[in-house]
Amino acid sequence: MAHIPDGILIAPVLVAGAAIAVAGCAFALKRIEPERIPQIGILSAVFFVAALVHFPVGPASLHLMLGGLIGIMLGWAAFPAILVALLLQAVLFGFGGVVVLGVNVMNMAVPAVLCGLAFHALRGRMDARLAAGGAGALAVLLTSVMVALSLALSGREFLPAAKLVVLSNLPLMLVEGFFTAAVMALVLRVRPDAVGGRTAMMEAAE
Amino acid sequence: MSPKLFFALALLLVMGTAPAQAHRLKVFATAEGAGVSGYAYFSGGGRAKGLGVVAAGPDNVPVFEGVTGEDGQFAFDAARRMDHIVTVDGADGHHGSFTIRAAELSASLPPGAEAVAAAVPVPAASPDLMDEAVARQVRPLREQIEAYQDEIRLRDVIGGLGYIIGLAGLAFGFSRRRG
Repeated sequence: MAHIPDGILIAPVLVAGAAIAVAGCAFALKRIEPERIPQIGILSAVFFVAALVHFPVGPASLHLMLGGLIGIMLGWAAFPAILVALLLQAVLFGFGGVVVLGVNVMNMAVPAVLCGLAFHALRGRMDARLAAGGAGALAVLLTSVMVALSLALSGREFLPAAKLVVLSNLPLMLVEGFFTAAVMALVLRVRPDAVGGRTAMMEAAE
Repeated sequence: MSPKLFFALALLLVMGTAPAQAHRLKVFATAEGAGVSGYAYFSGGGRAKGLGVVAAGPDNVPVFEGVTGEDGQFAFDAARRMDHIVTVDGADGHHGSFTIRAAELSASLPPGAEAVAAAVPVPAASPDLMDEAVARQVRPLREQIEAYQDEIRLRDVIGGLGYIIGLAGLAFGFSRRRG
């Protein structure tokens, strides 16, 4: 539930989210290599469509967030990829508000980038699939925590909602961990250079 | 460009052709006579059960509070002939609302906080029964229209994908010029 609708969050949270989203995008756009643009587009498209595919889990239904996968594959370029996809989801599907877009982008892209960095840091030291699975699960956890924080900061009445967001995303952590691990196993075997290399990500982080 | 990424995308697209569930909480309600009934649902599919419902008049004074049932449904009797704004609050920040206009309610109810202008004298033969019958017949139509409005259609998905591809192309083009 990373699509917070309009009219819920307070102004300071909205401004902070917008600022972080813009800063992240600006940082990324300066460093984008033209050859990677098609890949960024493809992953943005996958992210865009993923919100439509629901898996029933108990009483609720979940959809893949793919933050971890995007962070691993794109690094900082996750920011513009997620921004475009979320904007289109808001405008075309009504998922999440437009005023609150900055916050939604921040909640998805910051964990994505962090988990991407974590994956590249750990990749050499453990089974890459395990690292990918962990990164995928962690991205879901971080995103739901950030969504919960955004809600909680906007009013005491949102505390139960905040807790619910984190709890209801726990099963998704498992699903997405496996999914990310599976996809990365495939990618690493078939086209390892498609993944943002360690040097590229580390350079970008500096 | 990894062919496996295409594979992942194609897989998701295929799965996505099934009717999609959305994240918007919506409320639908109709009035038959003095009774108001309706349900809360997520646009594109499932009913929203166990959520808090509040109905208030135009003055925001609540006249009914309850919880949606197994099928997302709720019902209450209107006491006055005024606009009723029914709001359902989702646990995670969603909320949806629906307004029952005063004119939909039975004419035999006393006027509400905003008195119905031009109070029409009610003739002896009860038009209420007719109103109720018509309301009942029309209700499925209205439900269909509401649901139709919220459907996410394939053209929306394709439009979005087209936009992404176009933006990527533009970005690529501009970067080549610079580089």
